[in-house]
Amino acid sequence: MRWLVLALVTVLLAISPASAERLVSQLSTDFIEITSSYDGERITFFGSIEPEAGAEQRFVEGPFHVVIVVTGPAQDRVARQKTRQFGIWLNTDQVVFEEFPSFFQVLSSGELLNITSPTTLAVENILPEAQPSISTEAGWWRSSVFGRELVRLMTQKGFFGLNESGVRFLSTSAYVARLTLPSDAPPGSYLASTYVFKNGQIVARRAEGFAVRKTGFERFLAVSASQQPFAYGLVAVALALFTGWLGGVIFKR
Amino acid sequence: MQIYLPIAELSVNLFFLIGIGGAVGFLSGLFGVGGGFLLTPLLIFSGVPASVAVASVTGQVVAASTSGALSHYRRGGIDMHLAMYLVLSGIVGAFGGVAAFSILRALGQLDLVIALGFLLLLGSVGTLMMIESVNAIVKQQRGVVVRERMPHQHNWVHGLPMRVRFKKSRLYISVLPVLIIGLIIGFLGSLLGVGGGFIMVPALVYLLRVPGSVVIGTSLLQVVAMMAATTVLHAVQSQSVDILLAFCLMIGGVAGAQFGASANKYLRGEQLRALLAILVLAVAIRFGLSLVLTPADVFSMAVFGPGGAR
Repeated sequence: MRWLVLALVTVLLAISPASAERLVSQLSTDFIEITSSYDGERITFFGSIEPEAGAEQRFVEGPFHVVIVVTGPAQDRVARQKTRQFGIWLNTDQVVFEEFPSFFQVLSSGELLNITSPTTLAVENILPEAQPSISTEAGWWRSSVFGRELVRLMTQKGFFGLNESGVRFLSTSAYVARLTLPSDAPPGSYLASTYVFKNGQIVARRAEGFAVRKTGFERFLAVSASQQPFAYGLVAVALALFTGWLGGVIFKR
Repeated sequence: MQIYLPIAELSVNLFFLIGIGGAVGFLSGLFGVGGGFLLTPLLIFSGVPASVAVASVTGQVVAASTSGALSHYRRGGIDMHLAMYLVLSGIVGAFGGVAAFSILRALGQLDLVIALGFLLLLGSVGTLMMIESVNAIVKQQRGVVVRERMPHQHNWVHGLPMRVRFKKSRLYISVLPVLIIGLIIGFLGSLLGVGGGFIMVPALVYLLRVPGSVVIGTSLLQVVAMMAATTVLHAVQSQSVDILLAFCLMIGGVAGAQFGASANKYLRGEQLRALLAILVLAVAIRFGLSLVLTPADVFSMAVFGPGGAR
């Protein structure tokens, strides 16, 4: 009888392990509007690590680490290299990276290598350096050289980055993180993946999306330019002729 | 105050845009040129993608030249017949220029060709203007009476076939050089985002011997019509005309041009041309240096947008 109870308890423990955590999180905004005065936007990530719903435990035991990966819409990007030919500098080589993320920022609560193993980072695709894929037509060597340079250029522009003190813990289980989206970050849907690490293992994860969209007049202009290019061009010319005429009238030239 | 440009997809200071529009407008009013050759490089150097800069400045050039063209039209200073030939061939040239623009952009050589084009074009025009105006100033100081070239003097151009009579210009010349001038200016203008007035005026004066009374008006009308067509072509082909950017530049440009035109009275013709030559040469040298000097970063990147890589 005693053995049976012990076995049952062991099975129950195996089914619902004592350290079951879940992540409750929220973004400060899920819809960023680009208006005429848009000059970038700051997003705040809030979250709390809690016991799994229905678990017996009342509190979670840390220490936890949180890594947030924010990815922007994919674009086809090209990296080019200049060399000196006939005394002038010109682009002589280029490699195209298809479906390259336009934005890739990593926020973490500590040094990534202290949080988990390089293997986990690679498997979960957490590092900015891992983003360029090998292009078959360019070959392995050129892909890796140009890919590294592309990541460097994206980092200089502020589109790529790693901030190892970006996530701040408010208590043992609640955190807050801030990210500034530059004004030239492309519009589209963004994905924020949050990973909770404990002893180097991922114990909870959650993905949330937010959209960056042109609204109002800016949206109207951008849509017209791509959907009705001919009419758009005619309007641009009409506006130019009118402005020029008006200037002449106002200043009585 | 920042303003977001929806096509360039970046945020720029509004006063900076109106300011460079105004400064370039002032110079264009002062010298009687369109100002595209200054505005396009300024925008490129300040971070606007080259394709958006070229396409949007074409719109600005239309606005900058309209009031001038209208006032010349009212004074009867336009040879409509001659302008028609120039405009039609100019639009054909613009088709070629916009097509070349797209191909070069896809190949990643657009920046190079724009830099080379400005270097060669501005370098040669600037040097010629410099020599000419320095000679004029030197002769003036020695007290030599400068005799203006007569409009009816003939040169090799007047011996070509397919002659047409242009009544207003009092010319009976072959249409071939007229069409070729229009074609070349249409091609270069749409490729580089310049109106081409600074090539058109010397070409009309020295090659075709068009009288001074109709040169400026005809050239301005040609610039308005050809750049209007180029704006539509760019909007359709590369979708990189930013109306908001062009409008900010127009406001500054149109206002600045009026002040430039009044400042124009205080300077003599040769002095003006010498100053313009210095300006043109400075832009040419800036482009030349960007080609020759070792770049800070030999790697660069671009996005494939609608109509090719930006």
